[in-house]
Amino acid sequence: MRGKLINYLIALLIILTLNFLLPRLMPGDPLQAIHGGEMLVELTPEREAELLRRYALDQPLPRQFANYLGRLAGGDLGRSYYYAVPVSEVIRGALPWTLLLAGSALVLSSVAGILLGIEAGWRRDRPADRALVGLTGLLNGFPDFLIGALLLVVFGAGLAWFPVSGALTPYAGLAGPALAADVARHLALPLTALTLANLAGMFLLTRGAMLGTIRERYVLTARAKGLRDRTIRYRHAGRAAMSPVAARLGVRVGRLMVGLLFIETIFAYPGVGHMLHQALTMRDYPLLQGFFLVIAVTVLAANLLADIIQHRIDPRSGHAY
Amino acid sequence: MLRIEELTVRFGAETVLDRVTLELPAGASLAVVGESGAGKTTLGLAVTGLTVGRLQGRILWGGTDLLTLPPEEFRRLRWNEIALVLQHGGDNLHPGLTIEQQVTEPMIEHDRHKPAAARERARRLLREVGLAPEKHRAFPHTLSGGERQQALIAMALANDPGLIILDEPTSGLDTVTRRDILALLHGLSGRCALLLLTHDLAAASALAGRTAVLYRGQVVEEGPSGKVLRGPRHPYTRGLLRAYPNMTTTKDLQGIPGRAHRTHGGHGGLHPHTHDYTHHPHPHGTHRHGPEADPATGDGRSRHRGCPFHPRCTQAVAPCPTTRPPLAGEEDGHRLACHRGGIVPLLQVRGISKRYGAVRALEQVTLTLYEGETLAVVGQSGSGKTTLANVIMGLTAPEAGEVWLEQEKVARRDRDFYRRVQMVFQDPAASISHRHTVLQAVAEPLLLHLGGRLQDHTDTVRRVLEEVQLPSDDLFLQRYPHHMSGGENQRVAIARALTLGPKLLVADEPTSALDASIQAKIFRLLLQLQEERGLALLLITHDLALARKVCDRLVVLQAGRVIETGPSDQITTSPVHPHTRTLVAAAPAFCSGCENK
Repeated sequence: MRGKLINYLIALLIILTLNFLLPRLMPGDPLQAIHGGEMLVELTPEREAELLRRYALDQPLPRQFANYLGRLAGGDLGRSYYYAVPVSEVIRGALPWTLLLAGSALVLSSVAGILLGIEAGWRRDRPADRALVGLTGLLNGFPDFLIGALLLVVFGAGLAWFPVSGALTPYAGLAGPALAADVARHLALPLTALTLANLAGMFLLTRGAMLGTIRERYVLTARAKGLRDRTIRYRHAGRAAMSPVAARLGVRVGRLMVGLLFIETIFAYPGVGHMLHQALTMRDYPLLQGFFLVIAVTVLAANLLADIIQHRIDPRSGHAY
Repeated sequence: MLRIEELTVRFGAETVLDRVTLELPAGASLAVVGESGAGKTTLGLAVTGLTVGRLQGRILWGGTDLLTLPPEEFRRLRWNEIALVLQHGGDNLHPGLTIEQQVTEPMIEHDRHKPAAARERARRLLREVGLAPEKHRAFPHTLSGGERQQALIAMALANDPGLIILDEPTSGLDTVTRRDILALLHGLSGRCALLLLTHDLAAASALAGRTAVLYRGQVVEEGPSGKVLRGPRHPYTRGLLRAYPNMTTTKDLQGIPGRAHRTHGGHGGLHPHTHDYTHHPHPHGTHRHGPEADPATGDGRSRHRGCPFHPRCTQAVAPCPTTRPPLAGEEDGHRLACHRGGIVPLLQVRGISKRYGAVRALEQVTLTLYEGETLAVVGQSGSGKTTLANVIMGLTAPEAGEVWLEQEKVARRDRDFYRRVQMVFQDPAASISHRHTVLQAVAEPLLLHLGGRLQDHTDTVRRVLEEVQLPSDDLFLQRYPHHMSGGENQRVAIARALTLGPKLLVADEPTSALDASIQAKIFRLLLQLQEERGLALLLITHDLALARKVCDRLVVLQAGRVIETGPSDQITTSPVHPHTRTLVAAAPAFCSGCENK
């Protein structure tokens, strides 16, 4: 486990470096992004130099990187060019919504995907299994944004059952249960979209793992022990099937983040994905870096968590390193 | 008690078990031995209701037919009454649960004990099987193969079953661990019945009161373990024993001709479908795999007919391929399924006496040589060995006694006799005329028995020469004995004896004039022919060390009398007669502790 932690620290360092470099490698110019197209006409060389100095963009790259790391250590992620507030403040505003949306979607898609995967794998090639595989196969073919757009058009715009944008009704002054209900109504469509988009992968992964474990000899032994069907299905076959499922958790969180970008943008949900999209269009480097960092650290943490869970499920896995 | 009646298990068109009938009284132990693919595992799975094949017949457990038992009742019977330890020890333990959890589980799941009491009992059982307490809470992958097997046995004992089925409990274990596991299992005798499914014949003989031999899904021999494993009656059982390395047998390992593979493809071991247990939770449910073959047609049928072993059997006769021999009882409940009543006595010598004047060369000599067997007649010079060979071959007339061949009394030595019995003499010059070329010498028996011209038999001669590993080119065919070495001449003599495909070869000191290296080659060749076509060898020799390596049984002659007879390992390790002891003591051996001389 110790060697593993060192691996994670190295990964973190690489992420920080990339995080610093990537926005600077993108085409476009931050000044242009901040001040719009007319800036090209109005910008005098003196003014440009002054602006570059203000944003510390005139310094050599290594210096900029050192500054970046130093400030990061102090919890300072810099100042958003666009919002003109500290990046950490912007992230603090967006993160709770994302945690609510992405966390719920992850839990819901995992629980549903795993349960359905175990049941379908157990009943391989029976009608229920075939139906589920067909359905999830179809679902898997839809890109995240298409699911989001469809839900938006049908249930938001068409049927108007749910609000089409935002995380709550602005200036309504709601509190207590009314606020919770309002948040839930706003959450419904993006959450459904994100859950559906992630359900198929989880289901197919679990089902595939089940098909492997039900052939294992310890499952046959469990049957010989006269255990109840449910015990064999979940305690023996299902539990063992969780090992590859847990191993993929890190990858899945990464994929979830991509889905989040689309879904939050479509529903104008004020989370990390939506704000990231904003920052991207504005070339708001510090903000972009801040979001990238949050996402990268989240994915890395998910990987670490996956390792720990996998080791708990299958103690053999730790020995592979 | 367990009683299996006419149990047949089919997977699609394939019959894995074919009318198996076995009985296991309460507290007794039965070993079912056979090669992989014989159906041992399927038998174990069938008794526990875990096979997905189509089953016919009856499996009676204390009077209840398990094949008609409702699934839920069967589930409650499992582990409470019949526990199963599958093969591949470690794979049968869940990798993510501790040993203690897995031993505890069936007690709680079957409501036999409260969790705390179940854990207490689990720990007691684990200690009892010899698993150190600090390993009780370990995960299976941290344990050795032997410890996992111990854990599985403790698990099998958890609910105090009346029967434990053990599938290959010793495979994959080192010899010391294997011995410990066998001792552990031996300690269970009386506590519950054991059904041992194994290819480990020594384990069967150590643990089981009775042994059944399974070949391609059929029981071919069954009886008390001592009888079946030390005095096998079925050719397959003998082949199995000859191929099994052990510290008792002194004869070299021999195989069984042909292959046990099933006619189409052949998958050794488990039928692949038997792995698909989980989506057929109940064995009596509909079998949805593969085409439901009509047992009366197609490939399935040919295997149902006849003796399953007949394609590999060296003594098969007319009814063997067409009629299945019944598993018939003999004395002591030793049952055998063979049209020929087991391995046939090929040559019987009954009360032969011969005098040369006042010298009694043979005095009431009686011996039996079975099909595919090597019997050595050993003794000092002048003990009557060569006279015996000559009497058998009809070269010397005895005063009294009879010679029987294939259960018929030999009245006269006609062509038919010599077609079946051939002799190789000590001196190749006694077999081959110095005026004959190799071709003429080897073809001579063919010309005598089949007629025709010399040229017609050239191909046969070449084939036989190749069989004895001699050149078969034209140059060699034209050689005369004086062109060749002693070893080559003796091999030509053997080739000549083999041309007619005899069932019995009488060899009088066939290699005593040859170098040890040539002798080794010649005997390897003869034993290979024995393996391939069931050639019986009557070896006349004074060399006990040679005899124990190439013979199944020994007959010791002294002054014309048989003084001792028995399996060669028994005679050479614990001789009874004083003269046999003298012979054994005089046999060549490297003295121990000579390294420093």
